[in-house]
Amino acid sequence: MHTYIMKKHIIVRSIIALGILLGIIRLALIFAGKPDAAIPAKYETVDNLAALYPDYTDVTIPPNIAPLNFQVCDSDATAFVCRMEGQGQELTVGARADGIIRVDTIAWRALLQQSKGHDITVSIYAKKPAGWVMFKPYHLYVAQEDIDPYLSYRLIEPGYELYRQLGLYQRNLTNFTEKPIYENNREYEDGHNHCINCHNYRNYSTEDMVFHVRSNHGGTIVIHNDRATKVQIKDSTIITAGVYPAWHPKQRLVAFSTNKTGQTFHIYHPEKIEVMDEASDLLLYDPDKNQVSHILRSKALLETFPNWSPDGNWLYFTQADIRRNVDLSEPDSTLGMRLVFDYDNVRYDLWRIPFNQQDRSFGQPEKVVDAVKDGKSITLPRVSPDGRYVLYTLGDYGQFHIWHKSSDLWVKDLERDSCYALQQANSTDVDSYHIWSSNGRWIVFSSRRMDGNYSRPFIAYFDEHGQARKAFCLPQEDPEQNLLLLKSYNVPELTRDAVRVSPRELRRCIYDTEGERAEYLPGHEVRNPAMADAVSGATPDATSGASPQRPR
Amino acid sequence: MSKQKNNPKKAPTPNVREARPEGKEGVVQRRALLLPVIPLFFLAVWLWSAVYFGHVFRICREYSFWVKNPSEMQFVLSRSFGSLWYVGRMLLQLFRYPWLGGLLMAFLLSMGSWLMGYAMRLRPRWRWIQYAPALAYMAVLTYHGLDIFFEAETGRILGIPFLTVLVLSIWAVIIRSFSRKPAPAIVGIPRDESPWQNRVQILVLAVGMMCVVGYNEWRRAEVRVVCRLMDAQYEQDWETIQRVARDNADMSNRPMAAYYAMALVHTDQVATRVYDIRLDYDTLHIHGMDWHSNNASAMYIPEGSYHAGLLQTSYHQCMEQMVMTGPTVRLLQLMTKCALMRSEWELARKYLRVLRDVPFEGSFCQRYGAMLNKPDLVNADAEMAKIRLTEPIHDSFENQYQQPTFMGYNLALVEGRSMNALYNSLAVCLYTKVMPDFMARLNPIRGTTPPDNFADGILLCRNKQEGIEKGFTGLNLREPRLQAYMKTIQPYLKDRPRYARELFPRFKGYYPYYYFFGNLKATRKSQTGSNRSSSSGVN
Repeated sequence: MHTYIMKKHIIVRSIIALGILLGIIRLALIFAGKPDAAIPAKYETVDNLAALYPDYTDVTIPPNIAPLNFQVCDSDATAFVCRMEGQGQELTVGARADGIIRVDTIAWRALLQQSKGHDITVSIYAKKPAGWVMFKPYHLYVAQEDIDPYLSYRLIEPGYELYRQLGLYQRNLTNFTEKPIYENNREYEDGHNHCINCHNYRNYSTEDMVFHVRSNHGGTIVIHNDRATKVQIKDSTIITAGVYPAWHPKQRLVAFSTNKTGQTFHIYHPEKIEVMDEASDLLLYDPDKNQVSHILRSKALLETFPNWSPDGNWLYFTQADIRRNVDLSEPDSTLGMRLVFDYDNVRYDLWRIPFNQQDRSFGQPEKVVDAVKDGKSITLPRVSPDGRYVLYTLGDYGQFHIWHKSSDLWVKDLERDSCYALQQANSTDVDSYHIWSSNGRWIVFSSRRMDGNYSRPFIAYFDEHGQARKAFCLPQEDPEQNLLLLKSYNVPELTRDAVRVSPRELRRCIYDTEGERAEYLPGHEVRNPAMADAVSGATPDATSGASPQRPR
Repeated sequence: MSKQKNNPKKAPTPNVREARPEGKEGVVQRRALLLPVIPLFFLAVWLWSAVYFGHVFRICREYSFWVKNPSEMQFVLSRSFGSLWYVGRMLLQLFRYPWLGGLLMAFLLSMGSWLMGYAMRLRPRWRWIQYAPALAYMAVLTYHGLDIFFEAETGRILGIPFLTVLVLSIWAVIIRSFSRKPAPAIVGIPRDESPWQNRVQILVLAVGMMCVVGYNEWRRAEVRVVCRLMDAQYEQDWETIQRVARDNADMSNRPMAAYYAMALVHTDQVATRVYDIRLDYDTLHIHGMDWHSNNASAMYIPEGSYHAGLLQTSYHQCMEQMVMTGPTVRLLQLMTKCALMRSEWELARKYLRVLRDVPFEGSFCQRYGAMLNKPDLVNADAEMAKIRLTEPIHDSFENQYQQPTFMGYNLALVEGRSMNALYNSLAVCLYTKVMPDFMARLNPIRGTTPPDNFADGILLCRNKQEGIEKGFTGLNLREPRLQAYMKTIQPYLKDRPRYARELFPRFKGYYPYYYFFGNLKATRKSQTGSNRSSSSGVN
């Protein structure tokens, strides 16, 4: 008995001792792990900038942005010190040989608030074998205007056909918190595998939100505050379900494009994928009445990427006339293949159509930018919150510019009737899928400039002269996250508030409801004047586009 | 004392044993008969996992991915039992060196067995039961064969034994803390067992191991061969691939044929040695993550495209697999090589950075990291230089070709970068028995003595196109054999599927045999067989 009690004592004491030992080791690691952040007393000055990842040199940043943590890429150096100075405030951070500079969030916020409207000078010191050196300092320009604090996006492997685990996430831009809005297929089940499509909010608020689920449990998910409803917009007269959505800013209405989309893979081309529509129309959906109608509908014209003007009186969209590319009298079954053979000649112009908010009717569409005449193609028009600028992506051809290296951000100044590229924000790689901030001073877009494949959100300041400044990559707590993450950021959307609906509610809606079928209202489509503007010379049958029986 | 001797239920203490009355001679004799079962089991498991199944577990590791950073492992950690699979994947890294991984596997299974016996308080006469779970686990791994890594959670392989040992250890500690039950010997001679009790355990182990190995040889013989070939392919050991494939020429499956073809491409034998192995493609016991049977095309198609010069297609196929299974070492390595060959330096740097955190991948990162921004080094690499010769000249779309693309592309090739490209194209035409396309591509090699398979193909085409053989030398040397062959096979032509296997040993390596009797199951349908239409679309 005595031995038994002794044993118990020994075990209990051993466990306590082990716990204490582990605690000491942990504390030691925490305190010993902090790199030295003292400015070296002696150093040489070099005339070049330090190589940073991501490149945050000389960028304009919002005063409410999370710390711009970065990595100094210098394999010779064994330690680094970074000093940030602005308006009497100073912040010093040390880094080990890995060069990772992590800025304290509280100190960073204080520095930014102090430096609003001014510069922050950043000096980087590196400990080389021959001693400390100081690289040429650079500046961070702190704007007066905040950026909307929430950025939502889809994380998905870049492009390709199959899908499995992907999700919509929301990132708080003022810190590093990322929360899932909805994630699919954490556990793979063939019968539940589904894809999540583009999401959209009304007026930068999460009060109203929409996204589409494809394949198993498919349907359009309409969210109002914390409640989600699934609806089936697809009708025998509608090509597919709603694809690219745009909430009306004043009314609870969503304009959708409905697209028959296919993709092909290049065998020897820097642009790996070509995504093409062989048919697309525009729809108007009323979530309150669960009614859907066509806005524009034609076989010869591909209308897509709707976006409302802030006053809600215009619906902007892009449109291609495929009579330039294919003979529509040939069988529909081969249309997709015939378009693929002429993929680099399918081009889209920027159009808009007036909307009467009283009776919810549309007027005659009109061309806003004729890109085709310059041998270019426009996609993704987004009107600035003040209604003055239309921001769009311009590329050499096609509509899926997120895979076109030629794609750049352009604006149309509606006041001065001029179009120009946002030179400082653009890169030599893909720059596309953009969104304005609610104050119109920031644009967020996805770019593949880092490696040509994985898109990352970039933020650029849009000044009062209508010019964008150099864009910077979404800051991450671990700057290497941009390198290590094997997914793309897709469809960035800014909001003023956090998403209210829970992932559980969305899962319930997606998995447990079939979705009520929307009532289709026939005869609402507008006769598109472009139909008579045939490049082939043949005037198409204006009524054919309205026929609900017309085969697709 | 005699009571204790006659009552095996009560475990003797060391003191009691020393006082045994049999005398010195009796004790020596009895000790000589007892064998240390746990160490023997450890050795057997080590031999099984390191030597017999070493290549299989090494490929399991290649099909896995583990880094310390939890955010990179989110695709595993966020799933049910994710932490366990994370640990399992970590342990699996040791199979980079099968002898090392084998030690761990042997430790986990033998320790688990010992703990099982202790925790269950098994008496010596029932102690053989303690080995049953470990043997059953080995049997399960054997039964699943290629499925243990193909689109599967590789963390299970060592995660389950790890959890078992962990649970049993805690259980054993609790028992040990609250009872005075002595532990049976783990390393030395089990003195509490009688000779027959000891022999029963040895017998159970021997029979169990024989069943495991026997079943593998009987029903899953392809597993070790395919993994051996894959392993050699990673090492760019083309000679070993050929040797192993030819040694198992009678075995036939698509991954084996694909790796063999890659080796032939790299050793310039694609026109002469393709038909040294049987190409009838037996059904493989392999399933994807949707648990539907498939022909394992995903195992070889990315590599097939890469070695056929279709780098973009290979990258695409790697990405599709990565979407479905998450990253694997194998995919990341191949994507790195594709990116390097396409001068996508930043993309290659990204993959190398990811791989840098994977244990034991330092040499790969060092070798290929040196090529960043240095196209000269890329082109100087033997493997890459060979692949470069067959890269396409013009762009086109994958869906213009029959699947798999590396076959369809070569079948449709009209303009190549080198003679290697032409040879690959001719070889694919012969393999697919599309003789009009074969004949249409012969002009550039007219005036030469064609390689054996091409020569036989030309002779077979004479009936289809008169004069096709003109301009070639050396055909007359092949003619008598063809005539003799045609005469020999006449009785067998009525029922070719029935006689194909019987005739293979006689005509191994001979193209006309393949033309009439080989690959008869092939249809015009896609050879990939992987149907994922429900989960594909524009993303």
